[in-house]
Amino acid sequence: MIPNESGRLILPTTVVGSYSVPEWLERLKTEYYQRRISAQHLTEIHEVAIKAAVKDQERAGIDIVSDGELRRDNDIDYFLARIPGVDIAQRAKSDYYDYYEAQVTAPLPEDDKSTLGLAADFEFTRQLTEQPVKFSFTGPFSLSRRITGAAYADPAELVRALARRLNLEARSLADAGADFLQIDEPFLAGYPDQAALAVEAVNIVTDGVPVTWALHVCYGNRHARPSWEGHYNFLFPAVLDAHVDQLVLEFARKGLEDLKLIEQYAWPASLGLGVIDVKSAAVETPDLVAARIRRALEYVAPGRLMINPDCGLRHLAPDVARRKLHAMVAGTAIVRSELDLASPDSPSTGDNNYG
Amino acid sequence: MRDSAAAQAAFGPMAEALFRSDADLTEMRVVCDWIQYRNNFRDTAMLRPVLAADETPDGYELAVDMRRGARAGADVAAEVTTALADASPGADGDRVWLEPWVPGSASCVWPFNALYWQALAAWEKTTGKTYEQALPGGESDARNAAAARDLILDLFKLWDELANRRALPEELYVLELGVGNGGQARTWLDEFTELDRRHGRDYYRRLHYLMGDYSSHVLDRAREEVAHHGEHVSGLVLEATRLSGSVGFLTGKAFLVYISNVYDNLPSDEVAVIRGRVYLVQVRSFLGGGAADEIAATFGVERADIAPLTSRLLRIGPELLSESVPATFPDTERAVLFWQAVWAALRQAERYVPLEGLDTYRVTPALTGEILRPLLAAEGDVRMHVSNGALSSFTDTLPLLHPFGRVVCHDLFTTGHEQYRTGFFGPGKYDGSTVNWVNGPLLQLFASRRGFDVSFAPFKERPGSNIKTLTAQVRD
Repeated sequence: MIPNESGRLILPTTVVGSYSVPEWLERLKTEYYQRRISAQHLTEIHEVAIKAAVKDQERAGIDIVSDGELRRDNDIDYFLARIPGVDIAQRAKSDYYDYYEAQVTAPLPEDDKSTLGLAADFEFTRQLTEQPVKFSFTGPFSLSRRITGAAYADPAELVRALARRLNLEARSLADAGADFLQIDEPFLAGYPDQAALAVEAVNIVTDGVPVTWALHVCYGNRHARPSWEGHYNFLFPAVLDAHVDQLVLEFARKGLEDLKLIEQYAWPASLGLGVIDVKSAAVETPDLVAARIRRALEYVAPGRLMINPDCGLRHLAPDVARRKLHAMVAGTAIVRSELDLASPDSPSTGDNNYG
Repeated sequence: MRDSAAAQAAFGPMAEALFRSDADLTEMRVVCDWIQYRNNFRDTAMLRPVLAADETPDGYELAVDMRRGARAGADVAAEVTTALADASPGADGDRVWLEPWVPGSASCVWPFNALYWQALAAWEKTTGKTYEQALPGGESDARNAAAARDLILDLFKLWDELANRRALPEELYVLELGVGNGGQARTWLDEFTELDRRHGRDYYRRLHYLMGDYSSHVLDRAREEVAHHGEHVSGLVLEATRLSGSVGFLTGKAFLVYISNVYDNLPSDEVAVIRGRVYLVQVRSFLGGGAADEIAATFGVERADIAPLTSRLLRIGPELLSESVPATFPDTERAVLFWQAVWAALRQAERYVPLEGLDTYRVTPALTGEILRPLLAAEGDVRMHVSNGALSSFTDTLPLLHPFGRVVCHDLFTTGHEQYRTGFFGPGKYDGSTVNWVNGPLLQLFASRRGFDVSFAPFKERPGSNIKTLTAQVRD
């Protein structure tokens, strides 16, 4: 970690989404969904895998680590299976990564204050490392896209109800000590006309939860493939109303053209800059990473920039994932040293360590 | 077999030969096959050792082609007795071996297959027939205007929707693999221009139709067929199993990938479950002693020369073989005749080698044998194709698709797990090429793990044929 003169990190590095899921772990997860191993065994397997993921991040030099979301079967079901009022008739799966068929036949029970267990997940990771921890969960808009049923005449009401449930969970996470939370909206790019609703729901989730908030919007990483294509224009200006401290976007795969939007719309907060293409097994060089960061610095001050992969490293082989993280850290170090040289007295400004 | 009295009658002599032999029947499995390929790599009866980890035989499998055993004049007992002799210690048979023990996909039958497509003009000149005439139906499967029209109208509907959302790319790519004589491309493009004219959105201006084929000879014919579509068509010589290296630029851009009769012609291993243990089938190509002597006499060479000459033929082709050994092959045609004689006589011995963990077996460079686990676990004792080449090609094809693109593939597919328990699906010989049915459920499983739905339907354009149409498109 390189603190600036006020003790803050310059260009802190972090991760997004799921860490690499090795083939053997995929097989064991599927064994669980086919009732061949117990939930207890799977929990223990996950804990061992999370320890390894955190260790990999630490060894790579990542400043802000995560649990790699290794407990989750996919970006949706881990949450839907825990949310009171969401019905999942068939919980066995032929492959762990498949989506459940989830239904909501009656409005979600607002008086049920039971938690989804995310705080316990965070606490497990918190005690594994001295590094700052980022904790992510899927946002209400994307969760709603995998739910059918006629409980709400207006689909936006389902999104809002899910957001209220996630707000409860965010409060639990903050109570457990989480100070950096990220909302992932992997489906939003497929519904560009719904950006305002998604932002409204994000604001419900973050309401009254005093942590650093990040919002991650990508073009999908299901099966290592984009689900949609396009540009981030659809986010603006709606996202300017989001009560978040950081916008985490993918640039490595798509190119840096959309950086102009940050300047054009005067995005006031921080930017999580995707510098690692998670859909390609080709490992970036540190120089390439540094070049991407330098380009972003043309639009965003260093104190407002965080460095991360485009999305989760889930579909990359463990060795490739590790090498990509090392390259990201090395590339960031190059730019940090340049910033130190160029402006030793005023390296950056920022409101806090993360945002 | 239940429908053939002759085959039933052959069962008795087979059993009698077994009982008369010294074979340990407690270690002997018997498989009754019904091989539908007129030309294949098998004798009527063959013995396959089932090896232990130390490569010593742990048992045997006797495989008998009941179809040939049922023919008038067939002496099944003698064939079985000859095959059982392979179980004797040190037995090597009267054979000219053409290769060491290898997995099926690494066998020399695939270089033979590749040579057929590379030197097709020379082969056709010698036989006097085009390769299409050698196909079962006497023609290629793809040139149906109605089918093309359906696909094109589906594309128009999709493109209209994307255009309305300002999400339609400027370049509209369609890729065809295995172009045959260009008939499919011509039909498709002619229909496209006509339908586009009526539709009025000028999609033809933005269309790029890429034709890919392994054979430059075939591709040249196809280019002539679609010459009137000018710059809208490009021809690429490419290997279907390594698409990412040649058409990687299409990643995420292809709205339609059309594949016709390519996968059945790509290398494949076979795996088997025997008494709950997983084995890889290894093969070893050979010429029977009699056939080898006949070839040696015909071409004025020693029996020992046949294997090295064959190896050289596969490396450099008939034309250069003729140039390098003019005394034996004074012209290309003579070299082609040698090629055809060896090919006709080529047989394969087989053995089962235990696999120590499915993850240690590479199905494709990017895929381990773990992908096979659900299929193998579902069927008990079974032997099935891995369709390595087809899976490799399919693996490379899916990423080419635009998020709303689809693959349409006509080929010989098995469509249910159980088929491998009840039928024989290759390899066989079509003219100079090697053909296996493609493991459809495996492609389906792989696609499912990549978020695609795969469905199979009868090939509408030729009712009653074995060809099926595979369609793959994004599920989630």
